[in-house]
Amino acid sequence: MGVPARPRTRNERAGADRTAIDTGILTNVGFYVYVSIVFALLALGFNLQWGYTGLFNAGIAGFFLIGAYTTAIAITPPTPPSIGYPGHLGGFSLPLWLAAILSMAAAGSVAALVALPTVRLRADYLAIATLAFAEVLRVVAINWESVTAGTIGIFPIPQPVEFNPPSAFLNAMVKVAIGAGVLLILLVVLLFMTESPWGRVLRAVREDEEATMALGKNTFLYKLQAFAIGGALMGLAGWLFTITINYIEPSGSFAPAITFSVWVMVIVGGAGNLRGAIVGAFAIYGLEWLSVQLKDYAPRELKDTIFYIRLMIVGTLLIVLIIYRPEGILREKKRILR
Amino acid sequence: MREVLRFTPRSRRQLLRALIVTTIFVIFLAALATLFGITILQYTLAGFRLSSIVIVAAIGLTVIYGIRGFANFAYGDLMTLGAYVALFVNMNMALSLVWGAIVSFVVLALVGILLEVLIFARLEGRGPVPPIVASVGVGLIVQNGIRAVATTQQWIFRVPFIPEIPIVPGLGFHWIRDLGTVAVGLAFMISVHILLTYTNLGKAMRATADNLELAKATGIDTKLVTYAAWAVSCSFASTAGVLLGLIGVVSPVIGFNVLLLVFAAVIVGGIGSPYGAVLGGLVIGLSQEMSVPLLLGLGASSAYKVAIPFIVMIAVLILRPWGIAGRPPPFARRVFFIEKILDAIGGRPGAAQDAERESGG
Repeated sequence: MGVPARPRTRNERAGADRTAIDTGILTNVGFYVYVSIVFALLALGFNLQWGYTGLFNAGIAGFFLIGAYTTAIAITPPTPPSIGYPGHLGGFSLPLWLAAILSMAAAGSVAALVALPTVRLRADYLAIATLAFAEVLRVVAINWESVTAGTIGIFPIPQPVEFNPPSAFLNAMVKVAIGAGVLLILLVVLLFMTESPWGRVLRAVREDEEATMALGKNTFLYKLQAFAIGGALMGLAGWLFTITINYIEPSGSFAPAITFSVWVMVIVGGAGNLRGAIVGAFAIYGLEWLSVQLKDYAPRELKDTIFYIRLMIVGTLLIVLIIYRPEGILREKKRILR
Repeated sequence: MREVLRFTPRSRRQLLRALIVTTIFVIFLAALATLFGITILQYTLAGFRLSSIVIVAAIGLTVIYGIRGFANFAYGDLMTLGAYVALFVNMNMALSLVWGAIVSFVVLALVGILLEVLIFARLEGRGPVPPIVASVGVGLIVQNGIRAVATTQQWIFRVPFIPEIPIVPGLGFHWIRDLGTVAVGLAFMISVHILLTYTNLGKAMRATADNLELAKATGIDTKLVTYAAWAVSCSFASTAGVLLGLIGVVSPVIGFNVLLLVFAAVIVGGIGSPYGAVLGGLVIGLSQEMSVPLLLGLGASSAYKVAIPFIVMIAVLILRPWGIAGRPPPFARRVFFIEKILDAIGGRPGAAQDAERESGG
């Protein structure tokens, strides 16, 4: 959860609109909502892979990174190298919707490629292979300076809508609206997909792959599809992340900690159902957001350790939930055939 | 000890194979040194240094992988914990690092047993994923606990200062960094071999890893064996952590940074096989460090060297998922995955007959 942990609203409040104190807190809440939606998209993708199909992906951060960088490269105006900034590939200034399609396609096809050799492996091999893949991608993003601008990262990424007197509040609201719209559309689509015969086969693969094979289903193809679509959803999360955060860098935002927190979200919410993933995302990111808010009020000796304590709480949650309530808060609906 | 001296045909074959591989490797090194100058061997030295650490860690990881059947993602952070325990003894109690390593060896063995009792025993028989999730939780707690207590500052062990011995300009040799790590790695390899081959505990461990039910039926106390495996695994982690701190600095992420290397070594060697872990560690460590001159020659940044072990790992997963030294499962086919792709595309003639034969057999 190394997402830009500190919303830069403090400075914006101090600089841009000192008078609009009442919208400051709303801007902050808006930040919470749209970052939660980004995590909800990641959780939905992981839920499709693990919750429905049983593919334990540990490389969520990698697909997220692909989506984010594809978007950043697609939508930014030309940025020539200058002193202190190496420049990056880009200058295409594409519209947002095209960038969304591009990042989904990029992340989805990479996911399919990763899935080809690994998806038939046991869950633990798959986890190790995907985690390794995500880490290698991050190393590439840090070192391939001509494309990604290295550790400095890609910025500034244009706001979705430019307001004439710049307003942090309106910008936040636009982002919340975009995020909510995307989330709603996705929910409807995913509901249809998972309730369809296709989704039923996915659940069958999760429960008993050999029995499904015996029914004549090509389980490898189904697993490949689920992994690729889940990867595409993570790419879309990267798109939303890039256009809402306006700044991406490889070290923190795409670290394995992101993957682990998405796991927590899906496990807390309940694997195998769509509501669970979303509830989990809002709840667990809420924990992080609260810890950021509390930082100002915490006693001085706790100030530096509050982030570590939060991650320790996340770890404890993982252990306690997986032992005592592996089905999560909202458990998957039992389907009984008569 | 008479068993060591008796040459069975199998051990003779293995010995011959090892000799051939070693000869090829030495010839390869000699060719490199004559082609690019002797300084190229510094990468080999670095490779052996890294390998011996990865081997110690990989043996520990593979022992618990074989017996409990899950990938311990907390292993990297347990290595870090071992380094910090040694650091505490080394700094606050002003004892030599050897004492630090011994104390941390014992402490981590206890931590391992505690982990099994508190967490992992409750997850037995629930498949591979729940223990992985729980181990990630343990890793998060350990790593961030260290950050909260010892801050993110980097530390260096207090060891006597010994200058590097130059062999030729550009190729140096350090008593602690080079010989020390390799010697410790060798000592651990030999002790594991003795443990597994000549003691009852080691035989019981191998039996349990092979078949839990059968081991129980023969009267082996599998619970005790599991505790012993955790103790061995975590104490090896502590030593690997101390060695890591010795060749670099001690920081809260040293263990996590090499965790994937250790996993790669375990997978390349074959999960559950300590001898495989030795081979895998050698392959992984040497391939990472010796790829540096190649990468520099290609004009790429040497930071990409961390990708090389994973390419090796993916290749092994595709061609030989049970590892170099692992035993293939009864029905494994060699290029299973290529057949699957062809099946999926639908372009392979005779796929239907194959499927029929499978379901019949």
